Amino acid sequence: MNIDLLLPAIFFGLSVSGILFLVSLGISIGFGLMRIINMEQMVYYTFGAYMAYTMVSATGSFLLGIIAGILVAAFLGFLVETQLLRRVYGKELMFTMVVTFSVFLIGIGIIQYTWGLDPKPVSSPFHTMIPILGVQMPLYRLFIIAIAFVVYVLIQLMLNKTIIGKAIRAGIENPDQVQGLGINIRRIFTVTFVVASGLAGLGGSLNAPLTMTGPYMGFDMLLFAFITVILGGLGSIKGTLVSALIMGQVISVGGTIWSPLAFVAPFIVMFCVILWRPTGLFGVTGKAFGFQE
Amino acid sequence: MNRILKVSYGPALLVFLILMARFTFPNKMTFIIELAIFSIYVMGNNILYGYLGMVSFGQPFYLGVGAYATAIFLAHVGTNPLVGMLLSLLMGLVVGLILGPAFIRLRGDYFALINAATCAIGMFTIEKLLLPITRGDDGLWYRARMSQIPFVDIRMPDKFFLFALAIFLIVLILYNFMDKSALGSSFRAIRVNESKMKFLGYDTFKIRWIGFTLASILSALSGSLYAINFGFVNPSLAEPHRAAEVLVATLIGGAGTVFGPFFGTLAFLGIKDLVSQYIAHWELAVGILTLLVLFRFSKGIWGNTEAIMNEKFGKKRNRSVKKLLTDKAAT
Repeated sequence: MNIDLLLPAIFFGLSVSGILFLVSLGISIGFGLMRIINMEQMVYYTFGAYMAYTMVSATGSFLLGIIAGILVAAFLGFLVETQLLRRVYGKELMFTMVVTFSVFLIGIGIIQYTWGLDPKPVSSPFHTMIPILGVQMPLYRLFIIAIAFVVYVLIQLMLNKTIIGKAIRAGIENPDQVQGLGINIRRIFTVTFVVASGLAGLGGSLNAPLTMTGPYMGFDMLLFAFITVILGGLGSIKGTLVSALIMGQVISVGGTIWSPLAFVAPFIVMFCVILWRPTGLFGVTGKAFGFQE
Repeated sequence: MNRILKVSYGPALLVFLILMARFTFPNKMTFIIELAIFSIYVMGNNILYGYLGMVSFGQPFYLGVGAYATAIFLAHVGTNPLVGMLLSLLMGLVVGLILGPAFIRLRGDYFALINAATCAIGMFTIEKLLLPITRGDDGLWYRARMSQIPFVDIRMPDKFFLFALAIFLIVLILYNFMDKSALGSSFRAIRVNESKMKFLGYDTFKIRWIGFTLASILSALSGSLYAINFGFVNPSLAEPHRAAEVLVATLIGGAGTVFGPFFGTLAFLGIKDLVSQYIAHWELAVGILTLLVLFRFSKGIWGNTEAIMNEKFGKKRNRSVKKLLTDKAAT
């Protein structure tokens, strides 16, 4: 492989990382804070993408599509959290997994019912190419990288500077004690969940021009998002960022070397990580998960 | 002898009912064949989910192993479908024995996800790495190469129906036997309280390993039957996306029961058949049904039917004990 191909691959990988980070944050926090496995996070992702499609084809404005994607996804997250997930907090992990998975199936059904089965193309808002280090990069990919970076900074600020962010961090450590301090942990859960699903919607609407928007787009992303979360360590935001960066490169550079690798290389990474280091890169050690013996 | 009769009574009745159904609705034969084959697949998953409490998102991989073992044999090596089936069973055994020790140490969702990863890697192997042998996405066709086997010519659909039903009966009887045996009890005990099982001196690792291998063998058998039934295979059989089907069927039917897998498959395939006639999207209906089962009828179709039947026609002694317990709980 020559070096001319490597540099664009790395930049493409960064934009993939951006999407992966936005999408998998909800799964990571959902486990860290609420101790549930959020399989239905990808419903918001798919809805975000479809809102982008609807808005772009109705009004022609991509910005409107992103906003609609975030709002609809956040609203759905609110609905699901308050109506359904409240009943599964504190239950077995396997139970939450199956429940959220059936929510995921219902979401796919609703999407099929509303938009039909055939994939919808969304055109990219900018077609400009920008030369970086002698490589022509589409502006849109850089835009994704920038947004993901801004989101990361905002999340860090929120977690470190605001009261609610501090409560979330404390909740990840020990939910019972947070409740003992007189903080309504249920409300914290709802806020976190709505933010996370909004971010997944953002990821979906941003990814819509890069992939085909179809009812099953969530399935592939679900597995990739889980790989990202597991590699980074469940419940760690920094870990999610680092592993999203790694996974983006694995997908993009791997795909440049041999195109089928783009699909299978992440799974090989996941296979190795689970077998050799189940806590991930930044995961909490102990008997929280994975090995018990 | 008495024990064998006891174990085979239920399965024989069920198979008799299926036979009746086949002659009452002659145009539903393909559906019934799929029902029998898919039930075996769901039984495999039921050992994992229903008995041992392990969720796996990679069951299509084990199905694909069985299907491709038969298909590759029939397309490249021999012509006898029975040998292909034996080969599939062997492959299922080997895969279960090899992957088991690595996977069953993991708990919870890591087990589910490593299976999903295995499934994706397996599909990649079939599609890309073994391209010259499996012909990738085009699939393998070998219907014309299959030779006749003694007694029944399983190349004919109506003969294959009898063959598949016979296999289903044998598997169901063995399954019922397993359920009643010490092995079935140990599976259930592990699900309820593993540390207590260890304390009692059972090697829970070995028991899990046996369960995992049994599940793998059953899935491979089902895959092999699919391969013989269709006369061709392609990688879509082993797609990771299809992991949901078997899980949902297990849940609906009643996890951890003997006849649950059959009724779950009946409900799942029936819904898929029925719903797709009207709105073409089975996910919505199946998702809602699963949620309903999870929150309201956690024992599934067969589990609840069994409970009601025990209530109505069960042995008097059991009933009185049960009544005593519920009364005690109420007061």
